[in-house]
Amino acid sequence: MSQQKTIMIIDDDPDFVEGLKSILVAAKYGVDAAYNPKDGFQALQAKHYDLLLLDIMMGRGAEGIMLARKLNKDPKLREIPVLIITGLREQMAFLFPGQAVHPHFMPVDELVEKPVDPKLLLDKVSELLRRAEARKGEVK
Amino acid sequence: MVIDDEEVVLDSCRDILAGGNYHIVTAKDGTLGLKLVQESQPDIVFVDLKMPGISGFEVLGRICAFDPTIVTIVITGYATVGSAVEAMKKGAYDFLPKPFTPDQLRLITRRGLEKRNLVLETIALRREKEMLRENFAAIVSHEMKAPLSALQQNLFALIAELSAILTEGQKSRLERMKCRIDELLKLIHTWLRVVSVDIEKIKESFKPISVSTSVSKAVESVETQATRKDVEVLTSVKEPLGLVRGDEGTLVEALVNLVGNAVKFSRVGSQVVVRVEEKEGNVFISVTDTGVGISKEDLPFIFGDFYVGKSGQETRGSGLGLAITRRIVEAHNGSISVESEQGKGSTFVVRLPVLKNDVHNQPALDIEACSSSQKGGT
Repeated sequence: MSQQKTIMIIDDDPDFVEGLKSILVAAKYGVDAAYNPKDGFQALQAKHYDLLLLDIMMGRGAEGIMLARKLNKDPKLREIPVLIITGLREQMAFLFPGQAVHPHFMPVDELVEKPVDPKLLLDKVSELLRRAEARKGEVK
Repeated sequence: MVIDDEEVVLDSCRDILAGGNYHIVTAKDGTLGLKLVQESQPDIVFVDLKMPGISGFEVLGRICAFDPTIVTIVITGYATVGSAVEAMKKGAYDFLPKPFTPDQLRLITRRGLEKRNLVLETIALRREKEMLRENFAAIVSHEMKAPLSALQQNLFALIAELSAILTEGQKSRLERMKCRIDELLKLIHTWLRVVSVDIEKIKESFKPISVSTSVSKAVESVETQATRKDVEVLTSVKEPLGLVRGDEGTLVEALVNLVGNAVKFSRVGSQVVVRVEEKEGNVFISVTDTGVGISKEDLPFIFGDFYVGKSGQETRGSGLGLAITRRIVEAHNGSISVESEQGKGSTFVVRLPVLKNDVHNQPALDIEACSSSQKGGT
């Protein structure tokens, strides 16, 4: 058995985070949370996480996107798989007309809509972990 | 502002309007007048048509180009219908024949100002509406959806965590809560689409599409709903059909609304018929049901926003489905019409113009059309 996987949640809505967290904890993941992009970025730098759950609309706008761009520039942090969780699908389609709804920000990322069904959440999480694992194998 | 080469006219205008709450600027030729227009941004400009230097018509044109909201009124000594019409074409609001009485000038000034205020107000309102529309998406999606999402997410978690302890009754109540929140979230989505999403945007991704593919996709997605109600959906496509320019996603959405409505308002065990045919350069898609129908008083309003019908029955919905459908169809340069008789049923007809030159795009589309055509008609 591999050791417990740890997940970082960055979302400015603590209630929503609780709802996600309890599903993930019940599935035996280690979960930490940050409630703004700045704390989140620091936490990601300070400790290794296997996966990031990222909200898009935080603070004054699409700060989640800015954080994703910042992570993507960091050679180490860009390897972390990201599950973007957003209540924003319409707007994403609106912001990027004519494109697929999901604009990829990071090498390994996925997008799901809020609220997310527990089964879908766990499926996406394990799929992303698997993809990140496979990519690690390729890169080395 | 008054632009006229006759000193007398300038002076008398000043005198006549002096009592009113006006700030008056005068110029004795077009060049100076245009310069002053830019400096003082007047509400109304009176322009003499016959002046030395640049002509009154030229001045009118330039004022309009500088700021189309400025109301221009022509002063003319040769007040023929011809010159007045010509001036109106150049954007003049009205004309004042020389010689004029003080009352005429006061009246026309007052009317001109009213016009100017209306124009400015309209622009402000339009801008406000635009801002509202733009901001609505952000505000609604975050401020309204966020709390609901948080609620729903915790409900999801609780249902999973408590599944061993809860009684069946408690579980079903939690499930109902989940459903109700889901409905609310869906309603917000629909709202967002109507109010904030600029449907014209879909034109950017228009390409030649096959109507029969869209129809069969739409019918397919209504299938479950129809089966549950024991309503049979029959599709009849009269080939050959030309392609239309459009966005398949939204067109399917529009058709799903129509077929879905037809099923919703059908009687158990009845049929809904979807016919597709090409006539005189248009593809016509008609959806006919033999259900409850629409009353005469409701009929003119059914394509408007938030209209749910007055004539009773358990019509549930946001009142937006047909409004969205109409918008989508219109964005496709098409039109939608309805015939209905209360108690007998309704027929909705969508008309879409056929693409004139559909030779080049055919191959790419064939693949798509094939993959779903087997699933077609019921």
